Amino acid sequence: MKPQKVAFAIIASLAISCGIAQAQSTLVESTSLPELPANLPSWLDNKNTNHLFHKRGKHNFDVYNIAPLARDLNAVAVGHAMAYEDLVTGKASTLESKTFNRINGVLENPPKFMPDEAFISPTFGRKYGVLEQVFDWTHVLHAQTVDVLANTSLSEAQKDKEIEALWDYYFQSVPYAITPLPMSMEYLDSQPYSGAFRKKYPKVNGLFWGYHWLQGSMYDALYGLNLQQQKQSYEIIGRRYHKTELYKTDRPFMPMFAETSPKFAIRFPKIANAFDNLHMLHDMVNDILSTDGISEAQKEQQIKRAIWLVSAQAHQGETPGEGADKTTGGSLHDHRYMEGMPGMGMMKGMTPELMWMPVMGWMNMSECHHCSMPLPKGENAWRTSTLSAEGWTMQVRCALCARDMSSETKGESILRIPLETPDKTLVVFSDEQGNLSTSTPGVLLLEEPGSHAKCNEWSRAFSSREAFNNWVKENPKYADAKLLTFAQWADLQGDKPDTYEKPQGPSNNPYDHAKSGTHIMDGGEEMNDADMPETASEPAAEIEETPNAESTETEQTFDESTEAEQTFEEETP
Amino acid sequence: MKKSLFQKSLFLLCVFASLRLNPAVAVDHNNLDAGRPLEFDDASSVAFREQAIEFGAAVSKPKSGVNFEGSAEYLYGFAKNSHLSVDFDPRFAREESGARRFDSGDIGIGVFHNFNREYGSTPAFALRADAYLPTGRDSSGVDFRLRAIATKHIFARSQLHLNLDLNVNNGAHDGERQTQPGIILGYSQPLGYPSRFDRTLVAQIGYRANELQSENGVTTVGVGMRQQVGVQSVFDVGVLSDLTGGSSREKLKIVAGYSRQF
Repeated sequence: MKPQKVAFAIIASLAISCGIAQAQSTLVESTSLPELPANLPSWLDNKNTNHLFHKRGKHNFDVYNIAPLARDLNAVAVGHAMAYEDLVTGKASTLESKTFNRINGVLENPPKFMPDEAFISPTFGRKYGVLEQVFDWTHVLHAQTVDVLANTSLSEAQKDKEIEALWDYYFQSVPYAITPLPMSMEYLDSQPYSGAFRKKYPKVNGLFWGYHWLQGSMYDALYGLNLQQQKQSYEIIGRRYHKTELYKTDRPFMPMFAETSPKFAIRFPKIANAFDNLHMLHDMVNDILSTDGISEAQKEQQIKRAIWLVSAQAHQGETPGEGADKTTGGSLHDHRYMEGMPGMGMMKGMTPELMWMPVMGWMNMSECHHCSMPLPKGENAWRTSTLSAEGWTMQVRCALCARDMSSETKGESILRIPLETPDKTLVVFSDEQGNLSTSTPGVLLLEEPGSHAKCNEWSRAFSSREAFNNWVKENPKYADAKLLTFAQWADLQGDKPDTYEKPQGPSNNPYDHAKSGTHIMDGGEEMNDADMPETASEPAAEIEETPNAESTETEQTFDESTEAEQTFEEETP
Repeated sequence: MKKSLFQKSLFLLCVFASLRLNPAVAVDHNNLDAGRPLEFDDASSVAFREQAIEFGAAVSKPKSGVNFEGSAEYLYGFAKNSHLSVDFDPRFAREESGARRFDSGDIGIGVFHNFNREYGSTPAFALRADAYLPTGRDSSGVDFRLRAIATKHIFARSQLHLNLDLNVNNGAHDGERQTQPGIILGYSQPLGYPSRFDRTLVAQIGYRANELQSENGVTTVGVGMRQQVGVQSVFDVGVLSDLTGGSSREKLKIVAGYSRQF
């Protein structure tokens, strides 16, 4: 080969390498890093082991009643720990190849028992022991709440009570509990290092966010259902997790708890917020560890700061709904939440009234996503139906809304339709072709179509004729209504709801400023505005960012210094 | 006679309990306690508010004959990084007279405190103090043992555990040492990583002064395994051998045990 050609090849290779390096650069000027707040509590520097045992209860480890879920959760613990260990032991360059494959091997063959993460990531533990304490303790809350849901001897009311007790135990046992306040995700994800991990390691980041998807989705998949329904639900959720959610690399943001389990998030907003804040802490730590141009000491300092930001102590005396900062689009003490969803903090570019989700576009979380009518709330919140499909879970107002919305979605779905009491739920499964089935025998359904203003009345499900007759005593106008068997009801398709209004957001896609006019769809495909079914093409200039404290009908009071208390305005819609 | 029957029943109960596995319901396989199955401790206490019960059975071959031993220990995490323990070690063994008799053994009461987790290049340190009440046959005086423990990672996931012992025998007879120092170097290594996370290999080499002043010290080597068999339970098995030790020497000792947290 001629010397000129060799020189050209070298120069070309260097140019390409530089280009790739620049494209993946996550260099941060060390001078731009935020400083560590003064007078931080001593627990942030503790050198103790501080292992704490689970709160005692007959429900402990009942997640093994749903063995595939238990094993998948065991694998999640391994995946996090393996990636962290490789990041701090000089193996970051093979994170997307060797580490990914190793983790994936475990995800495909999940361990039978929950492994001790400290045993998988000892170097990480020696370096970031306090962070490990925070993670471990909140993971215990995760595990125990799922154990309660999978228990077969507690009633639904007892389960609710025990979950509240678990929160108190979590919150009061250590100084390093995560705050239950809704946090501005926009603020937490706008640090100088934010986004570094997902940019450099999209596949491993996809796994992490897949875990978070599972850790969110499992709650509504279990809440209020019996063991058989839970097992059947997890067959679908587990398939979705393994086939799709673990390998998505096009999510604009981590899955939020309320996007995947809205019903549980409304009932237990503190827990939903704490889990979102924990998952955000995971993201912040990932970003710090994978940021170039900052020293090891600076990484340690920034991780300490990240722990502090999401700790309960940093927000003592603050209340949900308060702390709006319109000038910066979110701040550390911005605790506004989405309207109708006290278990979700403000997201990038969104307003308290409207949130944006990939595929779904803009939506109001206090309204039915099928007919735009307000959802039941307060003590009637249990009457809300939910639909899980395509990776999200939406709240809908009636059985018809759940069924018809399901028919508009791709792939398998799960419909959860409340029966006559909070402890009974009709669970309907839809296969890939849209065929509906249920394991609840003898269920009867009422469907007397009218305006969707009253769909929560004329579209209902009952466990028996007797249950219907009891309901008719208070609703005599339906005395002559024809009740449908499940098969008859499953064949129906309603008209487009007369009340539906497409919400209009302030922008096309708050996460995609660079690609104005296009939207990232499920699977990575892009669509133009004209093709988008749910997304507004025009910004809604009239929508103002209003603090929830003034604009929402749901009121919530958190007192972090004393026992957990919350009050909701309880009205019949 | 009645007492003897009671003691034998207790011993058999321990043996049966130690063999009964309950897969439905581990003390972490990676958390090491003395006796399960080897002689060293790691520097971790049980978790705050955790309770655990550990059973063991052993067959040993001293100079002549065969001895049978049992053990049962209860642990309770009474404070962060600290636990209390109560243990007893009944045995059916040959005495100096040559007759084999049951001995309920001394009851041990201990307290364990972990001072720090392992961080940077600093090992985790712990201290364990045990008092042994003279409940065993021919036992007199309260004996004590003080054990200092250090645990440190080497080669990624392997750990070294250094135990320094000082045994105080308050009922020492003529010719017996009142204080016996000892040292054990333990090693643990997870087996099966990265495809399985439920098994740990353990090994040790230890030396302790002989109870009898006239005899050489006891050098013990051992190897074993801890296998998680349930969400809260671990089965362990080990083989130990005294390389030196005069008349106290046990050529071979096979140990099996079961631990369960609750």
